[in-house]
Amino acid sequence: MDLSINWSLILPILILQLVLAVIGLISLYKASEVRGPKWMWVLIIIFGNMLGSILYFVIGRKDA
Amino acid sequence: MRSTWIFYRKEMLDMSRSFKLIWIPIVFAILGITQPIISVFMPEILEMSGGVPPEMLSLYETPSSAMVMVQVLSQYSTMGVLILVLAGMNSVSGERHGGTAELIMVRPISSFSIMIAKWFAQCTQLLIAFGFGYIASFYYTYQMIGSLSWTSGLASFGLYGLWLILAMTITLLFSTILRGAGAAFVTLAILALLSLLNSLLPTWFTWSPARLSSLAAEVLIGNTLSVSSVIICCLITVGIIVVCLLSAARLLQKRVLPN
Repeated sequence: MDLSINWSLILPILILQLVLAVIGLISLYKASEVRGPKWMWVLIIIFGNMLGSILYFVIGRKDA
Repeated sequence: MRSTWIFYRKEMLDMSRSFKLIWIPIVFAILGITQPIISVFMPEILEMSGGVPPEMLSLYETPSSAMVMVQVLSQYSTMGVLILVLAGMNSVSGERHGGTAELIMVRPISSFSIMIAKWFAQCTQLLIAFGFGYIASFYYTYQMIGSLSWTSGLASFGLYGLWLILAMTITLLFSTILRGAGAAFVTLAILALLSLLNSLLPTWFTWSPARLSSLAAEVLIGNTLSVSSVIICCLITVGIIVVCLLSAARLLQKRVLPN
Protein backbone atom coordinates (compact mmCIF):
# COMPACT_ATOMS: atom_id res chain seq x y z
CA MET A 1 0.00 0.00 0.00
CA ASP A 2 1.20 3.49 -0.79
CA LEU A 3 0.16 4.96 2.52
CA SER A 4 2.67 7.80 2.31
CA ILE A 5 1.00 9.32 -0.77
CA ASN A 6 -2.33 8.77 0.88
CA TRP A 7 -1.40 10.87 3.89
CA SER A 8 -0.09 13.83 1.95
CA LEU A 9 -3.40 13.99 0.11
CA ILE A 10 -5.59 13.71 3.17
CA LEU A 11 -3.55 16.01 5.40
CA PRO A 12 -5.04 19.28 3.99
CA ILE A 13 -8.54 18.02 4.79
CA LEU A 14 -7.50 17.16 8.33
CA ILE A 15 -5.90 20.58 8.77
CA LEU A 16 -9.02 22.33 7.47
CA GLN A 17 -11.21 20.30 9.82
CA LEU A 18 -8.90 21.11 12.73
CA VAL A 19 -9.05 24.84 11.92
CA LEU A 20 -12.83 24.63 11.70
CA ALA A 21 -13.07 22.93 15.10
CA VAL A 22 -10.67 25.44 16.69
CA ILE A 23 -12.65 28.40 15.29
CA GLY A 24 -15.84 26.80 16.60
CA LEU A 25 -14.32 26.38 20.06
CA ILE A 26 -12.99 29.97 20.13
CA SER A 27 -16.39 31.28 19.08
CA LEU A 28 -18.06 29.10 21.73
CA TYR A 29 -15.67 30.35 24.40
CA LYS A 30 -16.36 33.99 23.50
CA ALA A 31 -20.15 33.60 23.22
CA SER A 32 -22.02 34.83 26.26
CA GLU A 33 -25.10 32.74 25.53
CA VAL A 34 -25.73 29.69 23.35
CA ARG A 35 -28.67 27.40 22.79
CA GLY A 36 -28.28 24.52 25.23
CA PRO A 37 -25.40 23.85 27.61
CA LYS A 38 -21.91 24.82 26.50
CA TRP A 39 -20.28 21.49 27.39
CA MET A 40 -22.66 19.76 24.99
CA TRP A 41 -21.46 21.99 22.14
CA VAL A 42 -17.83 21.33 23.07
CA LEU A 43 -18.46 17.59 22.66
CA ILE A 44 -20.40 18.11 19.41
CA ILE A 45 -17.65 20.30 17.90
CA ILE A 46 -14.83 17.95 18.93
CA PHE A 47 -16.45 14.65 18.00
CA GLY A 48 -18.83 15.81 15.26
CA ASN A 49 -16.15 16.50 12.64
CA MET A 50 -17.23 19.05 10.03
CA LEU A 51 -20.94 18.57 10.67
CA GLY A 52 -20.58 19.25 14.39
CA SER A 53 -18.98 22.63 13.78
CA ILE A 54 -21.56 23.52 11.11
CA LEU A 55 -24.37 22.61 13.50
CA TYR A 56 -22.86 24.83 16.18
CA PHE A 57 -22.44 27.82 13.83
CA VAL A 58 -25.94 27.46 12.35
CA ILE A 59 -28.05 26.37 15.34
CA GLY A 60 -25.96 26.92 18.44
CA ARG A 61 -25.13 30.62 18.09
CA LYS A 62 -27.91 32.88 19.32
CA ASP A 63 -26.93 35.99 17.42
CA ALA A 64 -26.03 34.20 14.22
CA MET B 1 -23.76 56.17 -1.65
CA ARG B 2 -21.74 57.02 1.43
CA SER B 3 -24.25 55.38 3.76
CA THR B 4 -24.23 52.27 1.58
CA TRP B 5 -20.46 52.06 1.96
CA ILE B 6 -20.71 52.48 5.73
CA PHE B 7 -23.35 49.76 5.94
CA TYR B 8 -21.25 47.50 3.76
CA ARG B 9 -18.31 47.88 6.13
CA LYS B 10 -20.59 47.24 9.10
CA GLU B 11 -21.89 44.02 7.48
CA MET B 12 -18.37 42.81 6.72
CA LEU B 13 -17.30 43.52 10.29
CA ASP B 14 -20.32 41.57 11.53
CA MET B 15 -19.44 38.64 9.29
CA SER B 16 -15.84 38.50 10.45
CA ARG B 17 -16.86 38.80 14.12
CA SER B 18 -19.32 35.91 13.73
CA PHE B 19 -16.55 33.92 11.93
CA LYS B 20 -18.74 33.52 8.84
CA LEU B 21 -15.91 34.78 6.62
CA ILE B 22 -13.77 31.86 7.81
CA TRP B 23 -15.99 28.88 8.45
CA ILE B 24 -18.07 28.98 5.26
CA PRO B 25 -15.00 29.03 2.94
CA ILE B 26 -13.45 26.19 4.95
CA VAL B 27 -16.58 24.06 4.64
CA PHE B 28 -16.73 24.76 0.89
CA ALA B 29 -13.07 23.77 0.55
CA ILE B 30 -13.56 20.53 2.49
CA LEU B 31 -16.58 19.64 0.34
CA GLY B 32 -14.62 20.43 -2.81
CA ILE B 33 -11.44 18.52 -1.89
CA THR B 34 -13.23 15.42 -0.62
CA GLN B 35 -14.91 14.69 -3.95
CA PRO B 36 -11.78 14.13 -6.10
CA ILE B 37 -10.12 12.11 -3.32
CA ILE B 38 -13.15 9.84 -2.98
CA SER B 39 -13.31 9.40 -6.77
CA VAL B 40 -9.69 8.30 -6.97
CA PHE B 41 -9.69 6.01 -3.96
CA MET B 42 -13.13 4.49 -4.57
CA PRO B 43 -11.75 0.94 -5.17
CA GLU B 44 -9.71 1.02 -1.93
CA ILE B 45 -12.68 2.36 0.01
CA LEU B 46 -14.96 -0.37 -1.34
CA GLU B 47 -12.33 -3.02 -0.67
CA MET B 48 -11.94 -1.94 2.94
CA SER B 49 -15.68 -1.85 3.52
CA GLY B 50 -15.74 -5.46 2.29
CA GLY B 51 -18.43 -7.52 0.64
CA VAL B 52 -17.64 -6.27 -2.86
CA PRO B 53 -16.49 -8.97 -5.31
CA PRO B 54 -13.05 -8.27 -6.88
CA GLU B 55 -14.49 -8.47 -10.40
CA MET B 56 -16.70 -5.51 -9.57
CA LEU B 57 -13.70 -3.58 -8.29
CA SER B 58 -11.74 -4.13 -11.48
CA LEU B 59 -14.66 -2.68 -13.43
CA TYR B 60 -14.38 0.64 -11.60
CA GLU B 61 -13.02 3.42 -13.72
CA THR B 62 -11.85 6.71 -12.27
CA PRO B 63 -14.18 9.36 -13.70
CA SER B 64 -12.67 12.03 -15.94
CA SER B 65 -11.54 15.25 -14.30
CA ALA B 66 -14.46 17.14 -15.84
CA MET B 67 -16.92 14.62 -14.37
CA VAL B 68 -15.35 15.03 -10.92
CA MET B 69 -15.80 18.79 -11.12
CA VAL B 70 -19.45 18.24 -12.11
CA GLN B 71 -19.84 16.09 -9.00
CA VAL B 72 -18.28 18.86 -6.92
CA LEU B 73 -20.84 21.30 -8.32
CA SER B 74 -23.69 18.92 -7.48
CA GLN B 75 -22.22 18.65 -3.97
CA TYR B 76 -22.42 22.47 -3.77
CA SER B 77 -26.00 22.36 -5.05
CA THR B 78 -27.07 20.44 -1.97
CA MET B 79 -24.72 21.06 0.95
CA GLY B 80 -23.33 24.37 -0.30
CA VAL B 81 -26.70 25.99 -0.95
CA LEU B 82 -28.05 24.64 2.35
CA ILE B 83 -25.16 26.21 4.27
CA LEU B 84 -25.41 29.54 2.44
CA VAL B 85 -29.16 29.77 3.06
CA LEU B 86 -28.88 28.79 6.73
CA ALA B 87 -26.02 31.23 7.29
CA GLY B 88 -27.88 34.08 5.61
CA MET B 89 -31.37 33.49 6.95
CA ASN B 90 -31.02 35.83 9.92
CA SER B 91 -29.28 38.68 8.12
CA VAL B 92 -32.38 40.92 8.06
CA SER B 93 -34.83 39.16 10.37
CA GLY B 94 -32.28 39.09 13.19
CA GLU B 95 -31.97 42.88 13.05
CA ARG B 96 -35.73 43.27 12.76
CA HIS B 97 -36.44 41.20 15.87
CA GLY B 98 -33.43 42.49 17.76
CA GLY B 99 -34.53 46.09 17.30
CA THR B 100 -31.45 47.25 15.40
CA ALA B 101 -33.51 47.82 12.27
CA GLU B 102 -35.77 50.41 13.96
CA LEU B 103 -32.79 52.31 15.30
CA ILE B 104 -31.30 52.53 11.83
CA MET B 105 -34.49 53.20 9.91
CA VAL B 106 -35.63 56.21 11.96
CA ARG B 107 -32.67 58.06 10.53
CA PRO B 108 -32.91 59.56 7.05
CA ILE B 109 -31.43 56.56 5.29
CA SER B 110 -33.21 54.84 2.43
CA SER B 111 -34.03 51.19 3.01
CA PHE B 112 -32.68 50.58 -0.47
CA SER B 113 -29.15 51.57 0.50
CA ILE B 114 -29.35 49.22 3.50
CA MET B 115 -30.49 46.31 1.33
CA ILE B 116 -27.93 46.94 -1.39
CA ALA B 117 -25.16 47.09 1.22
CA LYS B 118 -26.35 43.81 2.72
CA TRP B 119 -26.54 42.28 -0.74
CA PHE B 120 -23.00 43.35 -1.66
CA ALA B 121 -21.67 42.06 1.65
CA GLN B 122 -23.39 38.70 1.16
CA CYS B 123 -22.07 38.59 -2.42
CA THR B 124 -18.53 39.19 -1.19
CA GLN B 125 -18.83 36.43 1.37
CA LEU B 126 -20.39 34.04 -1.16
CA LEU B 127 -17.72 34.67 -3.79
CA ILE B 128 -14.93 34.23 -1.24
CA ALA B 129 -16.41 30.92 -0.06
CA PHE B 130 -17.28 29.56 -3.50
CA GLY B 131 -14.04 30.83 -5.02
CA PHE B 132 -11.88 29.29 -2.30
CA GLY B 133 -13.70 25.95 -2.50
CA TYR B 134 -13.73 25.91 -6.29
CA ILE B 135 -10.03 26.74 -6.63
CA ALA B 136 -9.14 24.09 -4.03
CA SER B 137 -11.15 21.37 -5.76
CA PHE B 138 -9.96 22.48 -9.21
CA TYR B 139 -6.35 22.22 -8.05
CA TYR B 140 -6.89 18.81 -6.48
CA THR B 141 -8.70 17.43 -9.51
CA TYR B 142 -6.02 18.85 -11.78
CA GLN B 143 -3.22 17.25 -9.77
CA MET B 144 -4.84 13.90 -9.05
CA ILE B 145 -6.88 13.05 -12.12
CA GLY B 146 -5.89 15.09 -15.11
CA SER B 147 -5.88 18.38 -16.92
CA LEU B 148 -8.90 20.61 -17.11
CA SER B 149 -9.58 23.52 -19.39
CA TRP B 150 -9.07 26.81 -17.56
CA THR B 151 -11.51 28.72 -19.71
CA SER B 152 -14.36 26.27 -19.25
CA GLY B 153 -13.60 26.13 -15.52
CA LEU B 154 -13.87 29.90 -15.36
CA ALA B 155 -17.09 29.94 -17.40
CA SER B 156 -18.72 27.35 -15.19
CA PHE B 157 -17.56 29.27 -12.10
CA GLY B 158 -19.35 32.35 -13.41
CA LEU B 159 -22.57 30.52 -14.32
CA TYR B 160 -22.72 28.61 -11.05
CA GLY B 161 -21.81 31.71 -9.05
CA LEU B 162 -24.81 33.51 -10.54
CA TRP B 163 -27.09 30.65 -9.41
CA LEU B 164 -25.67 30.86 -5.88
CA ILE B 165 -26.15 34.65 -5.87
CA LEU B 166 -29.79 34.11 -6.83
CA ALA B 167 -30.21 31.67 -3.92
CA MET B 168 -28.66 34.23 -1.56
CA THR B 169 -30.91 37.06 -2.88
CA ILE B 170 -34.07 34.99 -2.36
CA THR B 171 -32.90 34.27 1.19
CA LEU B 172 -32.44 38.00 1.77
CA LEU B 173 -35.93 38.75 0.40
CA PHE B 174 -37.71 36.24 2.64
CA SER B 175 -35.56 37.23 5.59
CA THR B 176 -37.29 40.64 5.51
CA ILE B 177 -40.77 39.09 5.87
CA LEU B 178 -40.33 35.91 7.86
CA ARG B 179 -38.39 34.74 10.88
CA GLY B 180 -35.02 33.10 10.21
CA ALA B 181 -36.07 29.45 10.02
CA GLY B 182 -39.18 30.21 7.99
CA ALA B 183 -37.14 32.24 5.51
CA ALA B 184 -34.67 29.38 5.09
CA PHE B 185 -37.47 26.86 4.59
CA VAL B 186 -39.32 28.93 1.96
CA THR B 187 -36.09 29.69 0.09
CA LEU B 188 -35.02 26.04 0.02
CA ALA B 189 -38.51 25.00 -1.15
CA ILE B 190 -38.42 27.53 -4.01
CA LEU B 191 -34.93 26.48 -5.08
CA ALA B 192 -35.86 22.78 -4.92
CA LEU B 193 -38.99 23.44 -7.00
CA LEU B 194 -36.97 25.34 -9.62
CA SER B 195 -34.39 22.54 -9.88
CA LEU B 196 -37.07 19.86 -10.00
CA LEU B 197 -39.00 21.59 -12.81
CA ASN B 198 -35.75 22.10 -14.68
CA SER B 199 -34.82 18.42 -14.51
CA LEU B 200 -38.33 17.08 -15.18
CA LEU B 201 -39.28 19.37 -18.07
CA PRO B 202 -36.00 20.59 -19.54
CA THR B 203 -37.50 21.60 -22.87
CA TRP B 204 -40.14 23.83 -21.27
CA PHE B 205 -37.85 25.66 -18.91
CA THR B 206 -34.90 26.60 -21.08
CA TRP B 207 -35.08 30.09 -19.56
CA SER B 208 -35.31 28.98 -15.93
CA PRO B 209 -32.59 30.22 -13.54
CA ALA B 210 -32.13 26.64 -12.33
CA ARG B 211 -30.83 26.00 -15.83
CA LEU B 212 -27.65 27.85 -14.83
CA SER B 213 -26.42 24.92 -12.74
CA SER B 214 -26.87 22.45 -15.60
CA LEU B 215 -25.27 24.92 -18.02
CA ALA B 216 -22.28 25.15 -15.67
CA ALA B 217 -21.99 21.36 -15.74
CA GLU B 218 -22.25 21.22 -19.54
CA VAL B 219 -19.53 23.84 -19.95
CA LEU B 220 -17.22 21.71 -17.81
CA ILE B 221 -17.85 18.56 -19.82
CA GLY B 222 -17.03 20.52 -22.96
CA ASN B 223 -20.39 20.68 -24.72
CA THR B 224 -20.84 23.75 -26.83
CA LEU B 225 -23.72 25.85 -25.60
CA SER B 226 -25.96 28.03 -27.66
CA VAL B 227 -24.99 31.57 -26.76
CA SER B 228 -28.57 32.83 -26.92
CA SER B 229 -29.82 30.38 -24.27
CA VAL B 230 -26.97 31.32 -21.91
CA ILE B 231 -27.69 35.02 -22.38
CA ILE B 232 -31.44 34.57 -21.85
CA CYS B 233 -30.83 32.55 -18.67
CA CYS B 234 -28.40 35.09 -17.28
CA LEU B 235 -30.62 38.05 -18.13
CA ILE B 236 -33.67 36.44 -16.50
CA THR B 237 -31.68 35.56 -13.40
CA VAL B 238 -30.28 39.08 -13.10
CA GLY B 239 -33.82 40.43 -13.60
CA ILE B 240 -35.15 38.25 -10.78
CA ILE B 241 -32.28 39.35 -8.53
CA VAL B 242 -33.05 43.04 -9.17
CA VAL B 243 -36.80 42.54 -8.57
CA CYS B 244 -36.09 40.63 -5.34
CA LEU B 245 -33.78 43.40 -4.08
CA LEU B 246 -36.24 46.19 -4.90
CA SER B 247 -39.14 44.41 -3.24
CA ALA B 248 -36.98 43.50 -0.23
CA ALA B 249 -36.12 47.19 0.24
CA ARG B 250 -39.80 48.15 -0.08
CA LEU B 251 -40.87 45.44 2.39
CA LEU B 252 -38.20 46.44 4.88
CA GLN B 253 -39.49 50.01 4.83
CA LYS B 254 -43.09 48.85 5.37
CA ARG B 255 -42.30 46.26 8.04
CA VAL B 256 -40.11 48.38 10.23
CA LEU B 257 -41.87 51.73 9.90
CA PRO B 258 -45.56 50.97 9.31
CA ASN B 259 -46.50 54.60 8.53
